[in-house]
Order: sequence, then structure tokens, then C-alpha cells
Amino acid sequence: MATRNDPFPQRLLAWIDALISFSGRSIAWLVILMVLISFSVAILRYLFDIGWIALQESVTYLHALVFMLGIPYTLNRNRHVRVDILNHRFSPRTRAWVDLFGTLVLLLPVFITLFWLSLNYVTNAWLVLEASPEAGGLPLVFLLKSLLLLMPLLMILQGIAWLLRNMLFLTGKIESSGIEQ
Amino acid sequence: MAITLFVVICIMLMIGFPVALTLAGTALLFAGIGTLTGSFDPLLGTLPSRLYGIMTNTTLIAVPMFVFMGVMLERSQVAEKLLDTMSALFGARSGGLGISVILVGMLMAASTGIVGATVVTMGLLALPTMLKRGYDPAVACGTICASGTLGQIIPPSIILILLGDVISNAYSQAQMAKQQALASQGIFEYSAPQTVSVGDLFAGALLPGLLLVGLYILYIIGLSLFRPDKVPAPSQQEHAELTDGNLLKQVFSALLPPLGLIVAVLGSIISGLATPTEAASVGAIGAMLLAAAKKQFSITILRKVVINTTEVTSMVFLILIGASIFSVVFRGFGGDELIASYLSNLPGGVFTAMFLVMLLMFVLGFVLDFIEITFVVVPIVGPVLLGMGLDPIWLGVMIAINLQTSFLTPPFGFALFYLRGVAPKSVQTAHIYKGVMPYIVIQLLAMAILAYWPALATWLPKVLYPG
Repeated sequence: MATRNDPFPQRLLAWIDALISFSGRSIAWLVILMVLISFSVAILRYLFDIGWIALQESVTYLHALVFMLGIPYTLNRNRHVRVDILNHRFSPRTRAWVDLFGTLVLLLPVFITLFWLSLNYVTNAWLVLEASPEAGGLPLVFLLKSLLLLMPLLMILQGIAWLLRNMLFLTGKIESSGIEQ
Repeated sequence: MAITLFVVICIMLMIGFPVALTLAGTALLFAGIGTLTGSFDPLLGTLPSRLYGIMTNTTLIAVPMFVFMGVMLERSQVAEKLLDTMSALFGARSGGLGISVILVGMLMAASTGIVGATVVTMGLLALPTMLKRGYDPAVACGTICASGTLGQIIPPSIILILLGDVISNAYSQAQMAKQQALASQGIFEYSAPQTVSVGDLFAGALLPGLLLVGLYILYIIGLSLFRPDKVPAPSQQEHAELTDGNLLKQVFSALLPPLGLIVAVLGSIISGLATPTEAASVGAIGAMLLAAAKKQFSITILRKVVINTTEVTSMVFLILIGASIFSVVFRGFGGDELIASYLSNLPGGVFTAMFLVMLLMFVLGFVLDFIEITFVVVPIVGPVLLGMGLDPIWLGVMIAINLQTSFLTPPFGFALFYLRGVAPKSVQTAHIYKGVMPYIVIQLLAMAILAYWPALATWLPKVLYPG
């Protein structure tokens, strides 16, 4: 864990890690909520013939929340699949170079572009406080759409964390890149 | 340009940066270059609404729930008990243990559907027993790997849900293209668009899945008849150890809970009573109850299960996002028209086209996971093949068996890596490779049967959902 006396990069790294781990671990619990609500929706419909659109939509919202915030967390835990035919033969240094290159050339440009493209889309939803197109649906579409900005933002932060980690590792400032393989 | 993009992505993937990010990043770099040189039709503006479409896709909500169910069931150690019981039932005969492994693989496939977990569990539990009994190491390894991959094809499987979503899109695209083509000739013929659902695909995969199980078992029976030294029967004493106490009671307590869950989940989907998502939630709750009954339920376990579920789900959806960025760019360069005109002008027509696509997927399956192949390749080739008149359910099942086969094929098959990871040192990698060969032949045979006799996949959905 970084402390106050650590240099700035280490502290920033620790801060991003903490933020993303916290958000990922928190939203993971929503999976159970999804299961329970979805089960209730089925019961209500088959046993009592009640269709409750807002309840049904809330499962969709939870699902989107889980994977949109889970994606940065999964990156943080290094659980996104890689083609590891060559990769697992690389030395830790080579792997750090791969991640440094990939973060700069692939990860950051993708999520900066996505953030930039979504800006208008999300702003428009906020301007009219967009609601569900279905009668009786949740009036929170603008919030749901905001995930299109939040996810890229967290991915950019996680990308910065990877950059720092691998640079610190390559310059010998930390023992390992700390990225679980 | 579109082809260059594909080739560059294949090269970039090899350095081992996460696949989804490589797909998206390389595609966007090309889009940037294309925009500067003016050879690119910028469709990127549609990306936010496409991604929102992924977020609100109701079919795919079943994914995290089935993952949750699978991970939870794995915790409740159903596989362990099943394996004990099955070998008590069949273990006395030559080849009996092999058949037990296949049957457990089938039941695990229908309940957890997680290939890695099934191969690892059986590799840890069944492999040492098989070796101790004097099974040929190659036969033992091959049987475990093949049975483990059944999770790909036997419903409810994640791959069939993903394929169901992708293929239903491809199918509606193919029908729209057909109507447009007719309209341009001045023929306006309205026919209600036909759809294909996840339930259709589940129903369609059921018989082919059972066919595979049957063929695997036939192979073991064949061995026990002609080469009993490879699959020996246990000694009297070994067999006595297995069946201590009341066998019937053991069978009931081990078999009933998972079987009940499978019937509830699969039955409610196939009968059309529940949507896959609703059925998955029933399965997830059932899995929690089962785990609780086995005293494997606590906050700590639950935390591990939800985190694992979140990781797997996020992994799937990032690939979906990456693949949709790739396909927007690929389309922007005219790539899909290129593929369409190539595939539809092949000598030998639809047969050659199908054969080539299957070959491509098989080869891609060495390096890529089924998720990537489903999201990247199927949206491009699917509409073309379906436009040539192939049945969507049949196509989906063929793709699923094909990808399952490539999971088994040396040297890069995923199942082989999983088994290698847990196999004792005495088992050589060559044993594993040699052992899966007969099963690969069986897979190819099954695909040939299905190609010759498509009704195997299309009959059940037609009976269940007429019209």
C-alpha cells in the first residue's frame, strides 16, 4: 500500500487501484439482486399474472451496471482473455513492454474515442431527462446511458494505472509489474 | 483495406494484449488512417447507440445468471458425488469407469456448462482413479477432455445463448436483404419475418448433443470389446470398496438434485414456459439451495462466486464491445460486401461456402475463444450463409460442434491445457494428444451425420414451436 511519503506515481497508482477494486467488488453483489428480481418477475407473471415493466427493466439496468463497471475491474484483475501462445513464454520485462505498448496504442485511444463519441449522445439524453419508451418503465434512461461515459472514464484511469505500473517496473522502481498473469 | 485490417489484427493478437482491446484498438487505428486518406465511410457515430443496444439486450441477461449458476454448482461439489455414484453403478464392467466419466460430463454440461471447470474437476478426481485401475493413459485423458467439452454443445450453454443472439440478427439481416433484392426486381412480396430464438437453438442442440454422448459411449464399448486391456474392469476388492452401503440411496441423493435442476431449467426454456433469463434465475436459486444443502454456502463463498461471475460476464461483454467496434470499421471499409461476394461466387455453391467458413472457424478456434469467434466471424458470414438458404438452427448447432472440436484439437485446444494443468506428472502431453484423436474423429463424424441429416437439429424445434 502506498503511503503519504511515497512519490506521486505510486500514490496515484494506489488510488486508482483502490477506486476500481472498490467499484468492482461493490457492483458484483448486484448479480444476486438480478437473480432475485428476475425470479420474482417470473413468479409474478406465471402465478399472479402481473407484468411489472419497471421491475423487469431494473434487471436490465443492473445487468448493464454489472458489466459496464465490471469491465474496468476485470482489466484491473487482468482477467480479460489474451492469446497467450507466445505471451506466456515472454519474460516479465517483455510482457511489461507489450502491456505498455498495448495501453498506449490500443486501450487509451479506444476509450478516449468512445468517451468523445458518447459525449453528445449522453448529453442529449440528459437534456430531456430521457425516460423509458415503455409505459410504466423506469424514467432513468439518461442515467443508464451515462454508463457510456463512466465506463470509458474508468478504463482510461485503469489504462493510466497500467502505464504507471509497467513504467515503474521497467525502470526498476517496483519489484514486479504486479499484474497477475 | 478490410482484408489488411483482418490480417493486421491477427498479427497484433499474437503479442498477447487482451483480445477485445486489440480488436477495437486496431480497428480504430485503421478507421483513423482511412478517414485521413478518404477511403473510409465513417459510421463511427453510430457506436454509442450500438453499445447502448448491447447494454439493453435482454437475451444476453441470461449470461451472468447461467455463469452464476455454474460457478455456484461447482462449489457445491455435485461433480464429485456424481462421479462416485456413476462409477459405483457402471464401474464393475470393463470400460465402466470411462462411461461414468462421459455421463458425468454430460450432466455437468447440462448444469454448469463450464468447460474448464469440468475438465479440471474430472482431471483431478477421475484421472488418478482411471490410471490406478490400469486404464490406458491416452484413453483416460481423451475421454476426460472430450466429456468436459460437452458443456459447449449441451444446453443450456453460454455459447448457444451468444450464438442465438448473433444468429437471430444475422437471420433477420438475410431476410431483409432477400426482400430488398426481390423489390429491386419489382416483386413486392410480404412475408412475416421468421425469427430464431435461444430456445430454438437449445432445442436444436439437444439431439446432436446426445448423439455425441452416444458416440463417445459406443467408442468406449468398442474398446472394451476389442481392447479390454485399455479399459480394464476393477478387481473384486476395488469394486466392493465402491459400493459400500445402499447403492439405490446413493444414486438418488447424488443424481436427483442436479437432475431436478436440469429438468427445471431446460424444461421450462424448451417448453416455452420461461424465457432463458427467467429459467437461469431459477437455476441460480436452485444452485444456491443445493450449495446450502451441501453446507457450502456462506458470505465468503457468495462473494467469491459473485466476483467470479462479474469477471466472466465482463470479459464476455468487453469482447462483444470490441467486436462491434471492429465490425463497424470492417463494414466501413466494405469488408462485408467483399466477403459476401466471395462466398456467394464459390464453385460448389453453398456447400463450399459452408465448408470454408467451418474450416476458418476451426482454425481460428486454435487461438481464439468461442466468444470472439461468435461475435467477430458469425455476424460477417452468418447473413451470407443464411441468405444462401441454410437453416439458422442447423447453422448454429454446426458452429457449436465445430468450436467444441477445436477446443479438443492439439496442440492449442483449451481443454488440453486445462487437463495438462492438473494431470499427474506420469501422464505425458503426448498421451493427451493421442487420446483425443479418436474423439476428434467422432466429432467430425457427428458433423458429417448432421450435415447429411439436418433434421437432427431442426426436427425438435419444429415440433416444439410449430409455425
